[in-house]
Amino acid sequence: MPVIEVEHLHKRYGDKIAVDDVSFTVDQGEIFGVLGPNGAGKTTTVECVQGLRRADGGTVRVLGLDPVRDRTEVRQRVGAQLQESQLPDKLRVREALDLYRSFYRNRADIDELLDDLGLATQRDTAFHKLSGGQKQRLSVALALVGRPEIAILDELTTGLDPQGRRDTWDLVERIRDRGVTVVLVTHFMEEAERLCDRLAIIDTGRVVAIDTPSGLLSRVGTEHRVHFRPLDPVDDALLAALPEVTGVRRSGDEVTVTGPEQVLQTVLSALAEQKVRYAGLRVEQPTLDDAFVSLTGRAARATTPPSTDERSS
Amino acid sequence: MNALSKLIAVEAKLFLREPVSLFFVFALPLGLMLVFGLPQRGASGADAGQHGELTFLPALALALTIGMLALFTLPMALGIYRERRVLRRLATTPVNPALLLVAQVVVNLVMGVAGAVVTAIGVRFLLDQPAPANVPAFVLAFLLGVACLFAVGLLIAALAPSARAAQSIGPALFFPLLFLAGAWLPRDQMPTVLARIGDYSPLGATVDTLAAAWAGDSPAWPQLLALAVTAVAGSVLATRFFRWE
Repeated sequence: MPVIEVEHLHKRYGDKIAVDDVSFTVDQGEIFGVLGPNGAGKTTTVECVQGLRRADGGTVRVLGLDPVRDRTEVRQRVGAQLQESQLPDKLRVREALDLYRSFYRNRADIDELLDDLGLATQRDTAFHKLSGGQKQRLSVALALVGRPEIAILDELTTGLDPQGRRDTWDLVERIRDRGVTVVLVTHFMEEAERLCDRLAIIDTGRVVAIDTPSGLLSRVGTEHRVHFRPLDPVDDALLAALPEVTGVRRSGDEVTVTGPEQVLQTVLSALAEQKVRYAGLRVEQPTLDDAFVSLTGRAARATTPPSTDERSS
Repeated sequence: MNALSKLIAVEAKLFLREPVSLFFVFALPLGLMLVFGLPQRGASGADAGQHGELTFLPALALALTIGMLALFTLPMALGIYRERRVLRRLATTPVNPALLLVAQVVVNLVMGVAGAVVTAIGVRFLLDQPAPANVPAFVLAFLLGVACLFAVGLLIAALAPSARAAQSIGPALFFPLLFLAGAWLPRDQMPTVLARIGDYSPLGATVDTLAAAWAGDSPAWPQLLALAVTAVAGSVLATRFFRWE
């Protein structure tokens, strides 16, 4: 059952089109990713879903409601974590949760929430003394304190170190396990691949594809790349003549053979047969990055986490 | 507790955790009074003009308390809330972010009143000054002065492009206003045009009406009216131009 329905959403700021034509639905209980490069229109899209902005065209339905007209009801039932939103320096963790809790009809148990998010020992810590990861978790806690049916998390892991990012991913899965539908906005491919049940790739204000991560991967083909350094002479033509092999390339002393999934088996048997020893064997599978490039025709800045001073729009 | 009372309670806590604002409200006006008030005692003759009036200095101290809250603390706090997207964050909850502004104004008002009471008591006993003689007029002048200065502060908060800008616009406006009120050069020694502007400037009108009521006289109606007009105009413009992000 869809809890969010977006149809032909269009939004412009002046004569700059932020969202051209975006449609998707989010089903109850899934983790839905909204993925795209900076400036693709992701944040504007979810801001229309939250009712923070009024769409210029198309329709948005959240839990069957209009997020602009029924804003109070939608906000009771949808929790949001905004990118780069902060709290007053001297506000303490518990006080912040207690304050935001008072805004909602359904109120979560604060101690339970603090335990769940690993903030129990920081309950009396002032906001400015929290680490980046703790601030981020508090921000998520504030999004959950009204027991929402949907949680919208925007650029959740931006600015976190790798450990912090992994912890936050576990957290998102736990949120979903509580029965909350999660909309995850990210430009970070690894995050989408790891967490999302389905995802929409948005580029320059349009939906390029909506699919499961594996569905997206299968769209770009199943080309694998086998890299190795032969220690004995080997004839490239011989490798190229093997069944399934679609290409052979040499760069320095490294040979790269491409082909479908079984190409590894084929290459290794051939090398064994020819009594060619090798080192530095590596197999590359297609990633969501490749899918992104092939779908949008350009690279997402995705393999490295961005620094905190960057923001998407 | 409902959202607004909770917001007020939290904002009050945050205010009390800021030593700088506490100093502005409770210590600075009284300190200034003692520094400038003590040598003045006995020295003030009939020839001293505006500064010779016994109630000028305490009225100035009260105006200073309100002025600093209205022009320094309030615009900066709101600027920070906008910059850190606290207002935006609040907009995603069922609560209207305007309530945070209301809470801020309420807390600063309460602190202003508390500061004024402390200053007035300090003046009464440390400087052996009589208590305000015309109490109804004193309360009216105080309320209008507060409304006028807070409206100016809210306008700064609305127009300042950043918290840092608000932080410098406040003082940049405060010191000329203090000058116009006659804090340094008595208004009766200023060029006439400047003195008339001073009479109807936010701090000038506040100081005069407070001082008159303190001495037991009736404050000048045109000055009270000037305060009221500035209060309404400032609030309307601030509401019109306030940016949430």
